[in-house]
Amino acid sequence: MIIPVLLASSAVGAITALLALLISITDKIVNNYGEVSIDINRGKRQLKVKGGAPLLFSLAEVGIYVPSACGGRGSCGACKVKVTSDVGPHLPTELPYLTKEETLENVRLSCQIKLKKDIEIQIPEALFNIKRYRGTVERIRDVTHDIKEVYIRLEEPKEIDFLAGQYVQLMVPPYDKIKEPTERAYSMSSPPSDRNHVELLVRLVPGGIVTTYVHTRMKEGETVTVTGPFGEFHVRETGATMLCVAGGSGMAPFKSIFNDMIEKGKTHREVWYFFGARTKKDLFYLEEMKQLESQWPTFRFIAALSEPQPDDDWKGETGLITQVLEKYLTTQIDRSRPMEGYLCGNPGMLDACIAVMKKFQVPPEKIYFDKFA
Amino acid sequence: MSPELKRAQENMQPGVITSAGFLGEDTRNLADIIEQDEETLQKLGIDIEEASRVLHHLLEEGRKGLGEPITVEGKYQVQVTEARGFLACPFEDGIFRKTNAEVIHLPSGTNFLFSELSLHLFEKHHFLQGIGSPFRIDPQKLKKVLS
Repeated sequence: MIIPVLLASSAVGAITALLALLISITDKIVNNYGEVSIDINRGKRQLKVKGGAPLLFSLAEVGIYVPSACGGRGSCGACKVKVTSDVGPHLPTELPYLTKEETLENVRLSCQIKLKKDIEIQIPEALFNIKRYRGTVERIRDVTHDIKEVYIRLEEPKEIDFLAGQYVQLMVPPYDKIKEPTERAYSMSSPPSDRNHVELLVRLVPGGIVTTYVHTRMKEGETVTVTGPFGEFHVRETGATMLCVAGGSGMAPFKSIFNDMIEKGKTHREVWYFFGARTKKDLFYLEEMKQLESQWPTFRFIAALSEPQPDDDWKGETGLITQVLEKYLTTQIDRSRPMEGYLCGNPGMLDACIAVMKKFQVPPEKIYFDKFA
Repeated sequence: MSPELKRAQENMQPGVITSAGFLGEDTRNLADIIEQDEETLQKLGIDIEEASRVLHHLLEEGRKGLGEPITVEGKYQVQVTEARGFLACPFEDGIFRKTNAEVIHLPSGTNFLFSELSLHLFEKHHFLQGIGSPFRIDPQKLKKVLS
């Protein structure tokens, strides 16, 4: 009785093992795309990579980093590239992130396209300058109850070239239930002259993977990875009055921009910097802003509290930052001169500020921002 | 479980739609989580439709803070933040902006976090998320917030 049972289970085991082997062999044959070539910008760069992986990761392996705020999970829509060869129709996972025009031009999410054959793509030339850096956290300090300033020394490569206002992606390792490294975008608050470091301002987002890591686990001396620089947010070289608006960690690019302008002696421009917070405990860098005002006669820093507390003893502006911006555009700012808008903050704040600026005839094409949190 | 629920539970695992997933430390199957939470809500006298209406209202009022915390009706402090991109519903019936609302019910000091997606999961699928999920709509906390 026992022998037939043992024979039967051995037979089942053998069949299962054989099927597993067949599946493994079939997988290797069917999914083996061999080497495929990537032609970038009509022959400007030609690469050979192993087929089968998403375009985003294949490009990263050869040192070309397309921006991605979600690490290739298809949830941010940032990793767009224009594909000029046939890679099949758009996937349902891509369409929600693409405009009608982008779809017609065959713009694709590089994290969703698997490289199964040779491909031709077009990407901004600036992406060739993006590098992945290994760095060491030299200093972490609290600038408010929910914002940390993280100062990272670059180890390999040791220097970064960027325009004040641009951002990097900070990668944190897996922790708790998070099984994979995760990347998020943060503007650099250090000036470009500090080529060996990047400084970031990280505001704690409840439930946020990277911000929670930075606020609860990151230690001085720790090794981190940053990739960049990315972004189109930088000062345009005109003489127009700069209307700058930020809230929270949106302070970061402006700290970099203003210090860069001071260092380069570009203090001829009129700058109005509006910073919104709820209470006094949400304000920071006030001394640094005062210092800028003393060095730069046409620089004005206007902090506004939306809900000042009785013990704040606040004598400054109150209300939402959009209301304060509107008040100054009505009463203080010379609107006969050309104006440009520079914004950094929550997408809701950006939309509200853009509406105010348009109302006061700031040309929409001269309102600059990077819309990420 | 139905094939739809099985597929939704697969989509809720860490790394599929979000890194942390939707189930937290919960080892129960999706049908059990939904059924048991529905029973708890009923015992607490919480009507899902009415509670959803209040949460939608808090989300909309919170948006007026433009990213900073704002006091709503003198008893809530609400901060609405938004990250780039969208998240798909694990039940595959829509995509949602990565908008989070952190609500503090001032009289009780109860902290309550929800997102556009977690509100949809609550309202349409009666899924409050697994125990230990950061965006779980905890029935006891919800009761305090609605009080």
